[in-house]
Amino acid sequence: MTKLRFHMTFPEERVKEPILYEISQKFRVIPNIRRADVSDRSGWVELEMEGELKEIERAVQYLRQRGIHVDPLEKTILEG
Amino acid sequence: MNNPSASPQPSPEGKKGLSLMKGLKCRECGRIYDLAAIHVCDFCFGPLEVDYDYEAIGKILSRGEIEKGPNSLWRYKYLLPIKEEPTIGLHAGMTPLVRADRLGKALGLKNLYIKNDTVNHPTLSFKDRVVAVAINRARELGFRTVACASTGNLANSVSAHAASAGMDCYVFIPHDLEAGKVLGNLIYRPTVVSVKGNYDDVNRLCSEIGAEYPWAFVNINIRPYYAEGSKTMAFETAEQLGWRVPDQVVVPIASGSLLTKIWKGFQEFSSLGLVKRHPELRVNGAQAEGCSPVYQAFAAGRTQFIPVKPKTIAKSLAIGNPADGYYALDVIGKSRGQVEAASDPEIVNGMVLLAETEGIFAETAGGVTVACLKKRAEKGAIRPDDLTVAYITGNGLKTMEALTGYLPEPVGIDPNLASFQKIVHPS
Repeated sequence: MTKLRFHMTFPEERVKEPILYEISQKFRVIPNIRRADVSDRSGWVELEMEGELKEIERAVQYLRQRGIHVDPLEKTILEG
Repeated sequence: MNNPSASPQPSPEGKKGLSLMKGLKCRECGRIYDLAAIHVCDFCFGPLEVDYDYEAIGKILSRGEIEKGPNSLWRYKYLLPIKEEPTIGLHAGMTPLVRADRLGKALGLKNLYIKNDTVNHPTLSFKDRVVAVAINRARELGFRTVACASTGNLANSVSAHAASAGMDCYVFIPHDLEAGKVLGNLIYRPTVVSVKGNYDDVNRLCSEIGAEYPWAFVNINIRPYYAEGSKTMAFETAEQLGWRVPDQVVVPIASGSLLTKIWKGFQEFSSLGLVKRHPELRVNGAQAEGCSPVYQAFAAGRTQFIPVKPKTIAKSLAIGNPADGYYALDVIGKSRGQVEAASDPEIVNGMVLLAETEGIFAETAGGVTVACLKKRAEKGAIRPDDLTVAYITGNGLKTMEALTGYLPEPVGIDPNLASFQKIVHPS
C-alpha cells in the first residue's frame, strides 16, 4: 500500500459536489483530509490518499477529468 | 513507497557548533519538530519553518559583530539555519545596493535603490543565497546527494554548489526543455534527468522521489532551511542603507518565498534592535501577467488561489501553484503593499529601461520588477521621496532569447569613413 499527499483546488462549479466520497467509492483508495478551506466560490483540500499506486493514479486522473487541479502537497516544485 | 512522515534521514547530525536553532515549527498549528530534513507538519500538513533562539542570538549579535564578518551572506550566520561554520558557497551574497538615480528620474522617484543580484556568486542569481544555505545544512544533516527540479536558475545554482562540495547531484527537467538551458547545467556534471511528461508530471515525480530517496531535495525536504537564505536580501539591504529599513520594497513573486523572507528578515533585524522598527514598510509584489495567481487573488480580494498554467517569457517566475502564495498575500496585506502584474512587452521594456538607465542587464524577472515598480510609481502609490528598493534577482545573459525581435538591429555600414559619416555620424 502507498500513501501519497496532494493539494487539490476545486473550481466554483465543483465545490458542492461530494467528489472525495466519489473517489472512495469508484476506486480502492482511502482519502484522509488533513487541512482544507472551502467557500461557496472555490476551495482547496490537502489530503493523504492511501491505496495501491495504480488505484491512486486512477483516482487522480478522475479528479483531473472532473476539473479538479491536483498537485503534490508541495504544489509547484519545478522552479525556474 | 515510504510514509512521507518518515522521510529519509541519512545519518545523525554531527557536533553542535553555532546551534542557535531551537527546532522546526509548523506555521499553521505551531507544533515543534526536530531539526531534521522534513518540511511538512505530520498533523496538519502545514509548512515547517526554522524556529530560532532569538534571546541567545540577541546576546551575541550586534552591528559591530556583523561588520566584522566576511563580505558574504555568512556575516549573518547567526540568523541562518546552520550549526557549524559554512564550508560551501562562501562568496554568495553581499551584492551591490545601487543608488539608481537615472532610473529614479525616469520614474519620478528621488530615493530609489536596486539590490543587484545579477552579480551574485557563483551562478548570477539570488538562488545562490538559498542554495548556499541549503547545501551547508544538507551536509550537516549527513546527505551526500542533492537534487532539485528546475528549468533555470535553481538548477544552475544547485549544480554549481554540488560540484564545489563534491556531492552527487540530480537535476530533473521536462523533456522538452530548450538545449541551451540544459547545457548551462551539464557543464557542472550533475545527472540531468529528462522526464518524459509535462510540468505536472515532473512535480508529481519529484514529490515521490523526495519521499523515497535519502537525498537533500533543496525545495522539498530541505525547504525550511533553504528558504531562510532569502532573508539575507533584507539583511544586506538594511546594512547597506546604513542600518535602515526602506519605506517601500518591490519583490518579484514566484513561489512567494522570497517576498515573505524579505519581510521576515526586516522583522528579525528590527526585533533584535539592529534597525529601528519601521511600521510603514510596504512590501509590494511583482508578477508576470502570464503567471499571476497571487496578483489575481489579490485583485479579487481572495485568500485562495486558482492555480494557473504559466505562459510568460519570465520563466524564472513561472510557478502556477505557488507554495508560499498564501503567506506572500498575508505579508502584502499586513504591510499595506500591493501586487502588480506586467505583460510580456512591459517586461522587456522594464529590462531595457533598467539596462539603459543603470547599466544593469537583468533577466526577465528583473523586467517584471521594474515594470511593476513603474506602475506603482505612476499610480502615486510610491511617493517621490520614499526610500524604495527594487529586487533584481538574476542576470540577463540567462534569458537572451526573450529579447529576440524587441531590440533595434545594429547600424550597418561599409568599411570606410565616408559610409560611417553618412550613415552613423552625419556632420
